[in-house]
Amino acid sequence: MMDIKTITVIGANGTLGVGVSAIFASFGNAKVYMVSRTLEKSNKAINKAAKSVKANSIMENLIAKDYDDIEECVSKSDLVIETVVEDLKVKEGIHSIIDKYIKPNAIASTVTSGISINKLSECYSEENKKKFIGIHFFNPPYSMTLCELIPAKCTNKELVKEIKEYLENVLIRKVVIVKDKAGFLANRIGFQFINQVMQYAEKYKEQGGVDYIDTIIGLFTGRNMKPIYTSDFVGLDVHKAIVDNIYEHTNDYMHETFKLPQYVEELIEQGKIGMKVDEGLYKYSGRLVYDIKDKSYREIKNYDIPFIDKVIEKYKIGDYQEGINIIMKNTSLEAKICKELLVSYIVYAIKISGEIAKETTDADIAMAEGFNWIPPYALMTLIGKDKCKEIAKTNLGIDTKYIKEVFDNNIKSKYGYEKFLKAKR
Amino acid sequence: MGKVYILGGAQTDFERNWTKEGKGVIALLKEVVISAMENTNLTFKEIKRLNKKNKIAVYMGNFCAEYYIQQGHLGPLLTEVDEAFYGVPSARYEAACASSSVAIDSAATKIRAGDYDLTLVIGWELMKTVDSKLCGDYLGRAAVYEKEAKDIEFPFPKLFGKLADEYVKKYNLDEKHYKKCLAKISYINYSNAKRNPNAQTRKWFMDERQANYRGEETNEEIGNMLCVSDCSQVTDGAAVVILASEEYINENNIKNKPYIKGFGHRVAPYLFDKKIEEDRENEYILPWTRQAIVDAYNRANLTVDDIDVFETHDCFTSSEYMAISAFGITKPGKEYEAIENGTIDFNGSKPINPSGGLIGCGHPVGASGVRMFLDLYKQVTNTAGKYQIRNAKNAMMLNIGGSATTNYSFIVGR
Repeated sequence: MMDIKTITVIGANGTLGVGVSAIFASFGNAKVYMVSRTLEKSNKAINKAAKSVKANSIMENLIAKDYDDIEECVSKSDLVIETVVEDLKVKEGIHSIIDKYIKPNAIASTVTSGISINKLSECYSEENKKKFIGIHFFNPPYSMTLCELIPAKCTNKELVKEIKEYLENVLIRKVVIVKDKAGFLANRIGFQFINQVMQYAEKYKEQGGVDYIDTIIGLFTGRNMKPIYTSDFVGLDVHKAIVDNIYEHTNDYMHETFKLPQYVEELIEQGKIGMKVDEGLYKYSGRLVYDIKDKSYREIKNYDIPFIDKVIEKYKIGDYQEGINIIMKNTSLEAKICKELLVSYIVYAIKISGEIAKETTDADIAMAEGFNWIPPYALMTLIGKDKCKEIAKTNLGIDTKYIKEVFDNNIKSKYGYEKFLKAKR
Repeated sequence: MGKVYILGGAQTDFERNWTKEGKGVIALLKEVVISAMENTNLTFKEIKRLNKKNKIAVYMGNFCAEYYIQQGHLGPLLTEVDEAFYGVPSARYEAACASSSVAIDSAATKIRAGDYDLTLVIGWELMKTVDSKLCGDYLGRAAVYEKEAKDIEFPFPKLFGKLADEYVKKYNLDEKHYKKCLAKISYINYSNAKRNPNAQTRKWFMDERQANYRGEETNEEIGNMLCVSDCSQVTDGAAVVILASEEYINENNIKNKPYIKGFGHRVAPYLFDKKIEEDRENEYILPWTRQAIVDAYNRANLTVDDIDVFETHDCFTSSEYMAISAFGITKPGKEYEAIENGTIDFNGSKPINPSGGLIGCGHPVGASGVRMFLDLYKQVTNTAGKYQIRNAKNAMMLNIGGSATTNYSFIVGR
């Protein structure tokens, strides 16, 4: 097993910086130099890190540093992790410094959800390129155990294997190795889904829009948080950065679903970027929702959608199969939307995973451990393959070639569907 | 009399919070019963066949569903799971945290007597319906409530804190050293839980240093010298084991199944102070707990030397500390030796709680007896996966109710 005794986290006072420092200091028992703009910020980050893993003992492993110490920290570390702001120029500046001072046998890495790993690897000398890799943690790392490992073109293959083992066995992470494609795996699947849901909200703005669609694809469809609400929670600015980046750099059959709807653009322009500023697609003081049609906030509606309540009654007593069958057999507009979104998710997740991960089942790991959503293969088992194929073909008009690729095999989920299906709206 | 065989069973993922999922006891029972049936190739058709002959029964262990979920009369609950259970004899058994051990014992007795061929034993508790303080008060009903729990915040950590105090006194231990040993017990259980895919704390962090950070913000004192790291969890969960008669095994040509080799069941004085007062001269601090284990050894005609793996009731680290000598792994007062020299580690010669125990795996109180029993089954059938102890032939458990008031022990082996 890899021996990582000392690490440096640059940008350690950010949310991920704090979480990642804590994971290495706790499970990894590594000495962590936490580097932020000021020592004061780093000291605050140390307290937050201890709280994030509920263990004051890790404070013995956390050392506050500022940018004046960066050279010294890097030169003493077995692993350097950069978690600064998602800005290419800023990140390049940091990686050029890492390149200069990193130890011969150490690893250099970045935590990013939007910047190309290969692009950043250009900051390194030919020799150092071999030890540079992207490690994408999810927030908050203590409860979201997914780690996407993104090797650059020149990354040493043996190193990738060793890091994977270390992350899995020492840091108790679930690891998927993915190609350096915009958004990587989990965000590509997750934000495709959320953005498509946002587009549906615009399409069905007469029916109610945001809260209407969020109700239809709510917790009973296998998630802890409604999709549009999730976007508000992470911040519409973050959402925009992710989907814009994927839209710009990829071109698959769902390309247009990455286009941010106009009404979301408008909210962002007005600074209404979600929960962190109290208003976005929802307004938190007052339990309000943004009405796309009226361009104003109104009370969240309790939509009368009888099939949802019936499904929930079934889930409450553990009759999952009967619950999903109610959705599949229902002919209302709401059930149609629900079915389409669920099957679209399955097909896209598996298709993309086949392209950019090692196994198509990596989509299951990504969505379960990174988003806490029902994994696509588990959902496929629940709905039934034939039904999925039928919806994919007739409702979604997906290419028969893709349908074959996704469904005509014996791949099964390692996950159950039960715990993901909430008996709640 | 014939042997009582164990066909297998299932447990739920103890990480799950069923209240958060919006689900209740029927979903819990349905999931666990169906997965136990799948694991043992038992069908609803077979249940119906046996029921026609009045040869199958259900035994349900639960502590206090009346408080947690406002449900009493628990025996018939499986009729809500499937109509195959219509008419199947079924009742609830209760002995606080040892509830499902009583259920196992009763189920085994009916098989031994020849009344039934197959019994389903289910232990369960849904505890996350209330906050931790109220939960602590509910659990106080496992002590003499008026005297030991009423108006006391977290009564059980305090009772087992008293056990820790008495230990230090009785064996003249150095308190600092004793606390370090408790921390190690906590750490071992958390570490073992990392290998168990159903353990509640499999993603949680705990190291020896943190367990020794007593009185800090993230490890507050909760009962005398006991801190948060010394306590088991508030857990939702269920576990099932399916027992069968020798006749049933032979008729159905079922091979290589372990059987119950011995049991012990003793009740100590209810009040904790009386437990300590009863027999101060005895070399054991809790002689009735020790006696339950001796009874199991005697019935199995085995000794501690024959046992390859243990599951114990570490509701608190102080109860596991006590169990070490009760099992006979060390002499009473010398438990620290087995903790310090690695004897009870996962790779030690007498591993305790490879599952993670109540501290690591979780403690849905009414489920814990069956969960331990199922883990014994897994160990001796080489089906424990990543937490398998190599070449385990005989396994022993200790499940206690209240402040070691009800004491239950089983030995399972092949």
